[in-house]
This record gives sequence, structure tokens and C-alpha cells, in this order.
Amino acid sequence: MLKNSLRLVDSFTDVCGRSIAWLTLLMMVVMFISVVLRYLFQVGFVMLDESIVYMHSMVFMLGAAFTLKRGGHVRVDIFYNRFSDVGKAKVDFFGTLFLLLPVSIFIGIISWEYVASSWRILENSPKVDGIPAIFLLKSLIILMSSLLIIQGITELLRNFLILSGAKLDSQEKPDQSIGI
Amino acid sequence: MGFISLYMFAVICLVLMAGYPVAFSLAGTALLFALFGQVTGTLDSAFLTALPNRIFGTMTNQTLIAVPLFVLMGVMLEKSKLAERLLEAMAQLFKNVKGGLGISVVIVGALLAASTGIVGATVVTMGLMSLPTMIKRGYSPAVATGTICATGTLGQIIPPSIALVLLGDVLSSAYQQAQLQMGIFNPKTISVGDLFAGALIPGLILVLLYITYIFITAVLKPELIPAYSESDEDNSNSSITHLLKELLPPLALIFSVLGSILTGIATSTEAAAVGAMGATLLALAYRQLSIQKLKEVVISTTEVTCMVFMILIGAAVFSLVFRGFGGDELIQNMFTALPGGVVTATLLVMLIIFLLGFILDFIEITFVVVPIVGPVLLAMGLDPIWLGIMIAINLQTSFLTPPFGFALFYLRGVAPKSVPTSAIYKGVIPFIVIQLFVLVLLSIWPEIATWLPNKIYQ
Repeated sequence: MLKNSLRLVDSFTDVCGRSIAWLTLLMMVVMFISVVLRYLFQVGFVMLDESIVYMHSMVFMLGAAFTLKRGGHVRVDIFYNRFSDVGKAKVDFFGTLFLLLPVSIFIGIISWEYVASSWRILENSPKVDGIPAIFLLKSLIILMSSLLIIQGITELLRNFLILSGAKLDSQEKPDQSIGI
Repeated sequence: MGFISLYMFAVICLVLMAGYPVAFSLAGTALLFALFGQVTGTLDSAFLTALPNRIFGTMTNQTLIAVPLFVLMGVMLEKSKLAERLLEAMAQLFKNVKGGLGISVVIVGALLAASTGIVGATVVTMGLMSLPTMIKRGYSPAVATGTICATGTLGQIIPPSIALVLLGDVLSSAYQQAQLQMGIFNPKTISVGDLFAGALIPGLILVLLYITYIFITAVLKPELIPAYSESDEDNSNSSITHLLKELLPPLALIFSVLGSILTGIATSTEAAAVGAMGATLLALAYRQLSIQKLKEVVISTTEVTCMVFMILIGAAVFSLVFRGFGGDELIQNMFTALPGGVVTATLLVMLIIFLLGFILDFIEITFVVVPIVGPVLLAMGLDPIWLGIMIAINLQTSFLTPPFGFALFYLRGVAPKSVPTSAIYKGVIPFIVIQLFVLVLLSIWPEIATWLPNKIYQ
């Protein structure tokens, strides 16, 4: 039951992350087009330029939880690498409980009014011809905090299971990616 | 009251050692201190309400958009094996030069490092790509590993490096702040392009010195670096046209990205997009790009980008709490009270950054330490470009220094068991000497860093 819900959240985060990742490629293409238009044809489109900001923000705001799941956030691993699996699980359990979750919740709370006031006036782009959705862009802060909280709780439970001696099959173990 | 901020810094360093991700360790520990400050009434918590705006500022910062694009370019060059082919071709080209393989590793590594800008990534890639070949050709393990480690750290300093993009962004706001403090209300600005230009000559000096060291070792101690012998397995095509076909496109790509930034034709963000696009097209042209590869590339890019930006957000929380406790005033008072003025202050900062380089990566130091000490040092009259280059080379040295240097750990992770750790430690020493030599050169003649940017942008 618990394992099933872990798996559910993991695959949700995974699907989110894998879809978001393609935005890096799209943003490269759009930026390239914008550069070509500007230098070869001397035309610029504010919307095109602003869409790059939107994509860029979406990548790192919505990808943060995905990176957490894949173990991509950099650690000072001088000692961590030498810990046993249980030792690592302890660090991750307490780290998630006292560092990650408070931070994610705090960012959500302190940004709520900031985002809400933007929604109340449906805040527009400061530029004429811009994308009229600054309030959506700002909402990414709340989304990031929510995704991190959801994935954080999952990590907490996963490490709790490891500490309580449950055998996790490879599906439920944290991904070990080296990044690049 | 300000002293609490120093305790906080010390506690964060301890928490980091436990090994929980840096971004959340930074922000989480700072928040716990903020809670303590709130309860004891020692913290001006109004500072923290600025957080959402800081995050939004990060999201809309034009300069930082260059980060995912440069990462994409670097990952693409690496995953599509373009970097590997470049290395092979380069080694073929230099095969009759003494130490040719080592020299090719330095050149290709410097280019690869420059485009990814991440020490770990370059050291791991170069380690996997070239260490087995170097050892097979009879290079002593110490020389081989030393070369790879040192080359991996070159990415900090050789433009277009992500490290310099981040440092440029932080230094430019520190510079603004310093000038306002000095009562200059029409402040000058520095850009990432200025920093790239400033880093070019010192970076080239480093590369040349590395190459000279390898060449001299090959001549004087052929037992450490044997000459190339025809008996080495050689089934690759070494005709000049083939080599040019392999060498020119990736080199042209990297140089055009750099050139367009330095000549001011394009901003670093625009050049990054063009560079990433160029790398993608090259990968396609060499038939190295499948959907599966592309998937790996975008996921790697996303992970690295998220890692960088989460640290930025974590560092923002830290710096707001640090200021809330009056930490920046404390630092400022400490520095102005130092005997010896700006020289002692600079030396002290460089020493602290060197030591911090043992536990923190470039990104953390750029976002956490530079915003605190930068404005103070710049207000004492230092040149921002010179300071940036000094920090970059200093950190590079720190990453190389045993026993804690980052580059050494990364290489240890991918080096075969037959290479003893002591060989790695021994191998980096000559390169550390080169680094220190260049730092001294820069202190005596700051023009090495400041001449080119002044020349270009006047």
C-alpha cells in the first residue's frame, strides 16, 4: 500500500520531469530563431523573447523535484560516499525532515501573498506586446514548492522504510544518476 | 548581534559535511537560524519577505538564461561523442610531438571544460575518455592523472564557462553596490563579456604552461611520458583531410561562440543558444543523434540546470538571513579594521575562498561568499574583473589541492584500481605550482586580466 503510493508519486514526478526536460531543447530553438530574426532581418518579437524566460523558469522550477528524485542535487560527498546504505538513509531522512521540507513549506507560505496579489490584478507583462501572464509565471514559485513537498514526503517515507529494514526493490530505490 | 551570522556560517559548513544536498542544507540551516532569531528577537525578519521577489528576479534574469544553454551545448558535445572524436583526431595530429597525447588532452579538455564549466563533469569525461589510453601508451599514472585533473579545472577560467557567467552576474551587482557606497551615483557596469575577455589571457597562459610542462617532462624524462611508437595499435584514419574534417567543425563552433561574445556581436545568452544549436547540428551531421541520445541530453541538461538554480535559491535564503542578522555590516567593519588595508583584506579573502573550495563547489562560493565579500573589497578600490579572475584561478587551484580537492575525488571515482591515490596526489603537484605562479603573476601585473577588456570595450 505504502510502497504503491511511493511508486505513484515517483512516476508522477518522473513524467513531469521528463516532459519538462524537452523545454530545454525548445528554448534553444526559439532563442536561435530569435537571434536569427534579430541579426539577419532586424526584427524582434517581445513575445518570442519572453517565451524563453517562461520556458527557462519552467525548467528549473518544475524540474527541481525531478532532480531531487534522481539524486541530481549536488552534495558534499566526502563522507557521504563512505556511509553504508543505512547511514545514507539516515542523512537523507533527517535532511528531508529538517531541511528540505521546512524550506519548501516556507517558500510556499511566504510567496503565497506575493503570487495572490499578482493574480488579483491578473498582472500583465511590463512590456507592450509581452505575454500577458506574469501571474502564471509567478505561480511557478508555488508549484515548485508544492512539487518539492510532495516528492520530499515520498523521500521521507522511502528512507523511513529503508531504516525500518524493509527490502525495497530497485524500482523504489532512489535513482543513482551521475548527472553529466 | 552580527556574530550570530558567523556562527550560522560555521554551522552550515558542518551541516554540509553530512552530505545532504547543498541547496537545501544552505536554505534549511539558515531558516532554522531565522526561527531562532525570531524567537530571541535578534533577527529583523522583514528581510525574508524579500524572498519571493528574489526568486522571481532569478527566474527573469536574462544573463542566467545562458546557463541551461551552455550546459546543453556541453552535454551535447560529450554525449554525441564529438569530444571523444576531437581528442582522437588531436592526438593523431600531435603524434610526432613529444608528449603529444598529453598535449591533446589539455587542449580538448580545456575546450570541453570551457563549454560545460563543471569540474566534475569534465574530469569524469576526460578520465573515462583518455586515462586508459594514456596508461596504455606508457604514461606514468601520476603524470596522466595530474594532467586530467588540472585540465578538468580549466573550465572555471576558460571562456565560455558557466562559472564565469554566474560570477559575472554576482560581481556586477556587487560592483553596483560598492559604487553606490562610495557615493558614485552614476555607476559603471561590468558584464559577463568583460569577464570572458579578462579570463582569456590568463586562461591561455595556464594552458601554455600546462603544455610546456608536459613537453619538457616528455623530453627530459621519457620514462614518464614515452614517445609515440608505430607499434601502438593504430587503425584510425590519419590522412590530413580526415583529421581536418574531425577537428575543424567543433573547434569552429567553440571559437565562433567565444568570438561573438568577445567582439560584442552577441550577448553571452544569444551566443549560448547559437552554440547549443551548432552542437546539435554537428551531432546530427556526424549521425550521432538518436531520439534516445536526445532524451539523455535534455534530461542531463535539466538536472544540471535545476541543481544550479536550486543552489541559487538556497543561497538567496541564506544571504537574506545573513543580512537580517547584520552579517554584512560585521564583515565590512572587520575588513576596514584590518591592518594593511586592501592588500591584507584581499589576501584574507583569497585564503578563505581557497579553504572553502575544499568543501564547496564554484556555484556555492559564487552565490554565498562573493555577494558578502565582493562589495566590501570592490569598495576598497579593487578592479572587479581582476577580482573575478583571481577568485576563479584561486578556486581552480583549490579544487586541485590534495587531500580535499574536488577534481581528485572525481578522478578517483573513475580511475582504475591499479592507479594508486598517491599517484594522483603526486601528479597534481606540478600543476598546483603552475597555478600559484599564475596567481602571483596576476597580483604583480593585474593588466594580464584587465588589459583585454579595456582594449575591447573602449
